[in-house]
Amino acid sequence: MTVAPSIETDRLNLWPQRRADFEAYGEFYASERARLMGGPLDRTWSWYAFAADAGNWSLLGFGGLTIEDRASGTALGQVALNLPPHSPERELGWLVFAPAEGKGVAFEAARAMRDYAYATLGWTTCVSFISPDNVRSLALAQRLGAVYDPHGESIHEERVIFRHPAPKVRA
Amino acid sequence: MTAAPIIAASRLTLRPHVVSDFPAFAAFFATDAARFIGGPLPERRAWSGFAADAGSWALLGFGAWAVEVAATGEFVGQVGLTRPPHFPERELGWIVFPRFQRSGYGTEAARAARDYAFGTLGWTTVVSYINRENTASLALARSLGAVEDDAAARWDVKDAVYRHTSPQVRE
Repeated sequence: MTVAPSIETDRLNLWPQRRADFEAYGEFYASERARLMGGPLDRTWSWYAFAADAGNWSLLGFGGLTIEDRASGTALGQVALNLPPHSPERELGWLVFAPAEGKGVAFEAARAMRDYAYATLGWTTCVSFISPDNVRSLALAQRLGAVYDPHGESIHEERVIFRHPAPKVRA
Repeated sequence: MTAAPIIAASRLTLRPHVVSDFPAFAAFFATDAARFIGGPLPERRAWSGFAADAGSWALLGFGAWAVEVAATGEFVGQVGLTRPPHFPERELGWIVFPRFQRSGYGTEAARAARDYAFGTLGWTTVVSYINRENTASLALARSLGAVEDDAAARWDVKDAVYRHTSPQVRE
């Protein structure tokens, strides 16, 4: 039975999700900002999405983590590794609440989560499914070294696939 | 507690959900048989509900169990202690797949989950929100000794609220 880990980066803590983290998450998913990520969702369905990310650790062995600012303890967003049954392959996803945008938070968190997937879980590849209208997420995927994959199967007709670089082979 | 504990009832085992439970869960939620509990649902939404019930353990300290026949391992449904944010109170809920209805399995599993709530978790009360047309579920609640509580808050006006009370309170 896998339990969500805690991961430390330069400026962030990636923590197991807590009930209190839902308020900011639910607010995000209720807003127009979530339009390119399957939202807006009402409070009921955003709870199911949030709690599912927590439940995935026990079901799948990977799942979601809350991104927290190390200095202040403020929740800044979420990163997740995911593979729901309707998905063709394992995904790395991220979301950052409005106040934390534009500060490299998602980049730092997503890179740490990807490192965890490769180093601890032994994944050899992963993708991010992104709306072609989600300019910020497309830019982040590219900054992470992911490249557009026109051949893969997408989770959804309105999502393009960005494939992350494979883990570096250790000498 | 970050995952459901295993509970042995007389004919049944309550255990944590595993991914291989999902096809039967999704098949149930795809049909009209789920009409009283939020269905029918597409697979994607059913997965959120399924994984959220597992995630509830990590977030809230209680959640759902998969229910199987101890002798055969047959997966007959689930019981859960839940509190999504739209529920006014903590709920005891149950699902019995159609081919196992009228077996008494639902009553046995719900009693085991209720006893866990009152015993291990120390709750003094828990409710079941039940659609007024769901006669099988209404009968199950009554067979457990739950009593309709007209004054209790509910999020869906079509629901009756059945209240279970800990024997320690009743004495």
